[in-house]
Amino acid sequence: MIRASGLMKSFGHVRAVEDASFSAADGRITALLGPNGAGKSTTLRILSTVLKADSGEAWIDDHEVAADPMAVRRNIGVLPHAAGLYSRLTARENIAYFGALHGLKRSILKERMDGLVERLDMGEIADRRVAGFSQGQRIKVALARALIHDPGNVMLDEPTNGLDVMSTRALREIILGLKTEGRCVVFSSHIMQEVATLCDEVVIVASGSVRFEGTPEGLKACTGQADLEEAFIQIVGEAEP
Amino acid sequence: MSGFAIVLAKECRDNIRDRRTIVSSFSLAIFGPLLFAGLIALVLNTTIGESRDGFSLTVVGAENAPGLLAYLGTQNLQLTEADLDDPRQSVVDGTHSLVLVIDDDYAERFASGQIAPVALIYDSSSTGKARRNLSIARQIIAGYGQQIGMLRLHLRGIDPAITQPIRVHETDTASSAARALSILAVLPYLLVLLIFMGGFYLAIDATAGEREHGSLEPLLTLPITRSQLVLGKLAAATLFSAVSLVLFLVSLRLSVPFVPLQQIGMSLEIGIVACLQIFAVSIPLMVFGAALLTVAASFAKSYKEAQTYLTMVILLPTLPLVVTQLLNVEPSDALMLVPSLSQASLISDIIKGETLSYARIGLSVLGTGATAALLCALAIHLYRRERILI
Repeated sequence: MIRASGLMKSFGHVRAVEDASFSAADGRITALLGPNGAGKSTTLRILSTVLKADSGEAWIDDHEVAADPMAVRRNIGVLPHAAGLYSRLTARENIAYFGALHGLKRSILKERMDGLVERLDMGEIADRRVAGFSQGQRIKVALARALIHDPGNVMLDEPTNGLDVMSTRALREIILGLKTEGRCVVFSSHIMQEVATLCDEVVIVASGSVRFEGTPEGLKACTGQADLEEAFIQIVGEAEP
Repeated sequence: MSGFAIVLAKECRDNIRDRRTIVSSFSLAIFGPLLFAGLIALVLNTTIGESRDGFSLTVVGAENAPGLLAYLGTQNLQLTEADLDDPRQSVVDGTHSLVLVIDDDYAERFASGQIAPVALIYDSSSTGKARRNLSIARQIIAGYGQQIGMLRLHLRGIDPAITQPIRVHETDTASSAARALSILAVLPYLLVLLIFMGGFYLAIDATAGEREHGSLEPLLTLPITRSQLVLGKLAAATLFSAVSLVLFLVSLRLSVPFVPLQQIGMSLEIGIVACLQIFAVSIPLMVFGAALLTVAASFAKSYKEAQTYLTMVILLPTLPLVVTQLLNVEPSDALMLVPSLSQASLISDIIKGETLSYARIGLSVLGTGATAALLCALAIHLYRRERILI
């Protein structure tokens, strides 16, 4: 479970996140939706403990991110904006590095790795070096790396960026699978179609603050629009001065 | 395994697969001594040894001075007797490089004990061995003149010593290894540079490279303390630096015997004990170097930027060496606290075979170790700031 309350973050004079408050439950997929530069990535970075909020609090399960970052890190799996793999290591080595740093024992690591390789359909690429992988293959490896320690909470920053139709569809299946397993999944996106087909909850962020929190159906009802995209535009448009 | 060991192992494995890192870390270590020995051997061989090789002298009017000719004949040089109408022109033309002209009245003046003139014609602007040949010719002719002069004094019943009121005896107390070191003086300097080069690319790859590839952010979401992470990276750079030094010492030990130092009365043997000593006194410097490079590279956002910074940073530790050399500063206890300078000085003592002062080794370890610890702390601090990601 992920909860954020009044998160605020500035870089110099630029206020990236103004007032981010939302919650994401276990066994549900929550989308952070917003235009470019709305503060989605910064919010996720605060939740994943790599940035510290200037004010506000956030909890992953029962751990506050600033107060107990180590406990938080043990309970999250993160797929950052750039996949960020080591190109001279093989897919397995990339995954194993993170698994080892999570303190997994060799036997458990191997078992989980084999499971993930099969589930993400990486059999052919698992023992190849990452240099030269397609974007879809990279995302798979990065995702396996984020799941190797079996985290209860998964955060994905624009995971479908740069993926072709087939890879997007495969990724969608995987994300739905994570939900079925009872994990709390939060992903950021600016693609309406993706949100409509995947998520249970929508959190609309614009200019650094949350403008709407609820189900896609609730969003339509609230704005009186039948189309999600129109509803989104209406909400975001209100936010513009 | 602790986080530290996992990071260390990963950085080593990752960088061993990088050709750029391997080439830059180890090629200087392996080929540096070979190149070094080869160059010195070349210099020694051209300055000494068969130095009169290719020395040729053209003599005009040889029949006027059979004594001088006989003397020249004993001097291991190529003599050509010629009958030139215009010897000056032949040098200008380049047909002859050095012409000795013996005048027709040489014999008469020589016999009567007057100054007998000979002329040397040369072109000092010509390249190649002209200058060297000229000085050889002058020496030989002067040597003959001196010999004749002594004989003449003897014949007149005078001790030739009268023409030499003072004679200088020179005694060089430097050991032959120490004399060799004057040629090999750049060796400690090279070793210090090498220690820094060894970890150069790994330090960049583990910091700025990781930032550039976007792998730092997911890494920072893992339950590993920043100190373990940074120290693991530092240890990997230190290890590469150590391997680089070991390779260098092995290569040096194998190539030094090929330098013909004994030809100039010098000897240099870098034994296994000396190698171990050099390695041991260098350990603090390796940590220092790895930490310095890591700190500098942490400010860079990309590989290229880091390369630019580090190329400047790598010159930093060589500055004390250059300054003390230029100002001719004697090594003192206080200077032993300066990283790189103290190691260069200790390494130089080891190569010379001098007894090592434990106090100085202690000061060196203390000074460099403390500075290295400070830099490590600074590197960890830099990684605790979120600026490292932005």
